[in-house]
Amino acid sequence: MRGATGRWRAALIPLLAVLLSLLIGAVVMLASGYNPLPAYAALFVGAFGTPFNIATTLAHSVPLMLTGLGVAVAFRSGLFNIGAEGQFWVGSIATTWVGYAVGGLPPALHVALALLAGAVAGALWGALVPGLLKAYTGAHEVITTMMMTYVAIQLSHFLLEGGPMQAPGYTPVSPDIRPSAFLPLLVPRTQLSAGLFIALGAAVIAWLILERTTLGYRMRAVGFNARAAAYAGIDVAATTVLALGLSGAFAGVAGAVEVLGVNHRLYDSFTAGYGFTAIVVALLAKNDPWATLGAALLFGALSTGASYMQLSAGVPSQLVDVVQGIIIFFIAADAIIAWLLRRSRNRKEVAA
Amino acid sequence: MVRRRPALVSLLLALSLVLAACGGAPAAKTGSPQQGQQAASGGKTIRVGLVTDVGGLNDHSFNYLADQGLQRAKTELGIQGQVVESHNQTDYIPNLTNFAQQGYDLVIAVGFLMTDAVKTVAKQYPDTKFLLIDDQIEGMPNVASAMFRSEQAGYLVGALTGLIEKQHALPNLKGRDQVAVIGGMKIPPVDAYIAGFQAGVKAVSPQTKVNLVYEGKFDDPTGGREVALSQIAQGSDILFHVAGGTGTGVIKAAESQGVYAIGVDADQNYLAPQTVITSALKRVDVATFDVIKSVRDGTFQPGVHWFDLTNDGVGYAKPVAAVPQSIVRQVEQIRQQIIDGQIKVPATVSQ
Repeated sequence: MRGATGRWRAALIPLLAVLLSLLIGAVVMLASGYNPLPAYAALFVGAFGTPFNIATTLAHSVPLMLTGLGVAVAFRSGLFNIGAEGQFWVGSIATTWVGYAVGGLPPALHVALALLAGAVAGALWGALVPGLLKAYTGAHEVITTMMMTYVAIQLSHFLLEGGPMQAPGYTPVSPDIRPSAFLPLLVPRTQLSAGLFIALGAAVIAWLILERTTLGYRMRAVGFNARAAAYAGIDVAATTVLALGLSGAFAGVAGAVEVLGVNHRLYDSFTAGYGFTAIVVALLAKNDPWATLGAALLFGALSTGASYMQLSAGVPSQLVDVVQGIIIFFIAADAIIAWLLRRSRNRKEVAA
Repeated sequence: MVRRRPALVSLLLALSLVLAACGGAPAAKTGSPQQGQQAASGGKTIRVGLVTDVGGLNDHSFNYLADQGLQRAKTELGIQGQVVESHNQTDYIPNLTNFAQQGYDLVIAVGFLMTDAVKTVAKQYPDTKFLLIDDQIEGMPNVASAMFRSEQAGYLVGALTGLIEKQHALPNLKGRDQVAVIGGMKIPPVDAYIAGFQAGVKAVSPQTKVNLVYEGKFDDPTGGREVALSQIAQGSDILFHVAGGTGTGVIKAAESQGVYAIGVDADQNYLAPQTVITSALKRVDVATFDVIKSVRDGTFQPGVHWFDLTNDGVGYAKPVAAVPQSIVRQVEQIRQQIIDGQIKVPATVSQ
């Protein structure tokens, strides 16, 4: 068990990575002829300056929290689920369908059913093809989850572009979901819905499963050293399928919350890659459920603040992307390297 | 390395504190009206915010053209303009709201993806004017929407194509009297162009065969290239694309095979100067500029604004020098006939 000081030390590297990225971002801004101080000030105001902005930041963080938790859960089992984006999509699709096609339910029940549909769709997308292939043929989940993401996105194109889920009219969108399936707004006139509580609840669930259940223990054991886990009598194949399913369920719920709380319908190509940013969120958080919430908040704040930075400081969005890119690079490079080191160390231990 | 770290940490923390402390300043500044140059009509300077859709400013099309209109308004009308790019479907409402909250006079939303967001935000900010590009919102007193009669632009480039085929007026034509249209998705804004093109070819050269394919996506240059190559192999030698980013693949394929292409929305000749003989234009820049001007002049009209040949809202780009002047003159005559109402251009595709 690592103590409080160990925890702080573990938090130091990601914190440094973020601050260092901001510093390099400032240099890039200077080199491009922009003053970084007002730019960063605008970034901060844009993210936290007013109640509206705070609500928008939180609203942007919610899908990152949920997909980030999904990626983190898989990581803890030694699985690199880079297909959270696809699981997010199928979750959105299933939830949207339940949202508009199923009627006559009381709101609480309708929301619950729609969320469940998203979770199950995401779980199946993660467990069925990538999970089973990994468990029984060894096909690497990086490939299979990624490929399933393309399948999910193409599926949505098929459904919306003149397909069975397109609303009347030419715009490639689904019909609106019924008001009984809306998640209530926490702050009026913003996009912040009760989905925030679902994300917080999901973090509790992720922590409970990982730290307080035998399934979580098995998952962590497999992630730490699959051969040792097998030797200890753990069913590695079943654990792998369950872990990818659980991971997909979180991402599916993220899609569900986005539909029920924010968009209220399915738009063609409506995400900007939450499932991909989620990988960075999980890496930055070192796969800790609580830290995932914080990391998601950081990225939510960056994306919210970025628009305002362009609006008020006139820093073009390309530069905003550069800054975000450097942050992602630093965090990803740091954590991916650490993860690979740990993994190769495990391999060596097994081989020895 | 380890010893240096505390210094680095404290430096960075100090920096972040400085940044945080600066936080309040810009909000206060942007809250008050800026002292820019005064508008020609007198009174306060008009402030215009432009929100792109997820395509971003470098889409060679809508967002780019809308920004062109805004930049022109800045220099010619002395208005203040600011652009925010959306990275995400969920950015639309916050971006529109931010401009409205800061008291901008006009907020421009580019593309039909933003229709729902404009309806929501415009209701909450009745004192702010909104312009939606390429979709219709009616019955809201503070919302104008710009629609384009693209079929007229399609008709003109179609007539140009038909005349070239009929007269074998360009080198390297295959002599099969066959051309192709490659659409992105089968949606009305695309089909309007295509319908006009078909009618335009037919009017001047009834025997010319026009093949029609929908590639299925707007962001797939590789797929566009494949479809174009197969059309060229079947004998088409002028390819008109209405396919956004997919169309860049069409143009590249035509260039590689030494045949010709026609661009869409903006003048795309720069993508392949020998290949793109003209482009069907949708003057989003004109629409943007005109509505900004109406806000400055106090003549803003809510509801749907149609842009067509009569107000230069659609058109075709100046053809390359290889196209004979006699053909260009004929197309100009046809253009006048459409303006005069002698030619009615259909907006629905004939298969």
